[in-house]
Amino acid sequence: MHETVNSRLESIPDVQSAIASGEPLFLAGSRAALAQLPKGNWVGGTIPYFMTEEGGQLSEDRIFVTRVKEFAIETHAADYGPEELAHLYADAPEQGITFLILPFGTAIHTAFAQKASSFDGFLLKPIVGWVAGVRVDLIGKEQPAVFNGKTGAVFEDRCVALHVTLPANLQASLDIINIFESDGGALLRFEERSFHVGKCLVDGKSVDFARYITDQNIHTEFPLVGDYNGSSINVSIQAVDAAHGKVDLYAPVVPGVDYHFAKPVYDYSEAFANAIAKGDACPDFACNCILNYLYGKLEGKKTGHITGPITFGEIAHLLLNQTMVRLYLHDIG
Amino acid sequence: MLPINHAIWVQIATGKKPIRGDNLAINMLAQKNKLSYEKDPSPANVKQLVENTHLFFTKYEAVFAADFAKILH
Repeated sequence: MHETVNSRLESIPDVQSAIASGEPLFLAGSRAALAQLPKGNWVGGTIPYFMTEEGGQLSEDRIFVTRVKEFAIETHAADYGPEELAHLYADAPEQGITFLILPFGTAIHTAFAQKASSFDGFLLKPIVGWVAGVRVDLIGKEQPAVFNGKTGAVFEDRCVALHVTLPANLQASLDIINIFESDGGALLRFEERSFHVGKCLVDGKSVDFARYITDQNIHTEFPLVGDYNGSSINVSIQAVDAAHGKVDLYAPVVPGVDYHFAKPVYDYSEAFANAIAKGDACPDFACNCILNYLYGKLEGKKTGHITGPITFGEIAHLLLNQTMVRLYLHDIG
Repeated sequence: MLPINHAIWVQIATGKKPIRGDNLAINMLAQKNKLSYEKDPSPANVKQLVENTHLFFTKYEAVFAADFAKILH
């Protein structure tokens, strides 16, 4: 395993210096912090929450930095609109990794969630990243944004990517730590790939999903868990409107996938620590979900030894929810 | 890696060979194959799924060797 740990929270002057020296960087920080950075070979997105070596924290004057210079032989910063996602995959290197940031609640966020698996290059060109957000008390008042440092452009409706070509001896893989598992209860299936659900099948019977959640007194801080052949892929509940029969989700449910609600987790910090094998190497990049941070009260608490931005959605090939994502670079000789 | 004309690639690409493990990318590939085959079982689609599956296994042969060995044995 490649052992370089490249990610940490840094001061704005330190990040400015790194950019000035030409380092390619993948950045997470508040809008005010990122706005102070010069043009350079970097992309970034807004988020002020981080898991650090000291525990979870909110910081608007420091930036979480992933340095790629030690493993990159070539990097390319770019931005894409909702109709240009095929270009994202076309531009991604055959031998490398692409870091991606999507602004939350936008057409590009939806398009990636809906279409990622349909593009040539899906899985063959690994894409890791996250969804930009804002301080939770500013949701609805301030827009998440992404920055293309190469051009100096700031977008609220496009995604940014840092394409990283790796040397022949390094290969990227992505894994997830999901502290949630099926509760073993009712089987749920959905007929449309969508962020919004009216009806669904519960144990084969068509029901109003919002009413089902309300009637069953389901705790919506715990996600739906989809079974992808043994990998548990979460879909988190955003809002339940029983009066109008509508449930909004943070990622789309997918037809043909078996879902269950998750078994409750009461101590998120302990659950992550237990799920992360003590012998696991530090990943080259990791991120975790704002819902885990909030519901799990992770401010000041750790998630094992893993650090990274705390985001409004995670990307490991697909858009994920309430999941820790880890990137590893393997030395294959 | 087994040649692309080996029968196992069709089994994997059509979901007829069960895949269940803890490797995220393999599981996502299997899920994508299953959903695609259910939607379109035509020979042309199967051929494309086989090609993509073989490409995936070839690309990640070194990194996922242990997981692939369990599937291909």
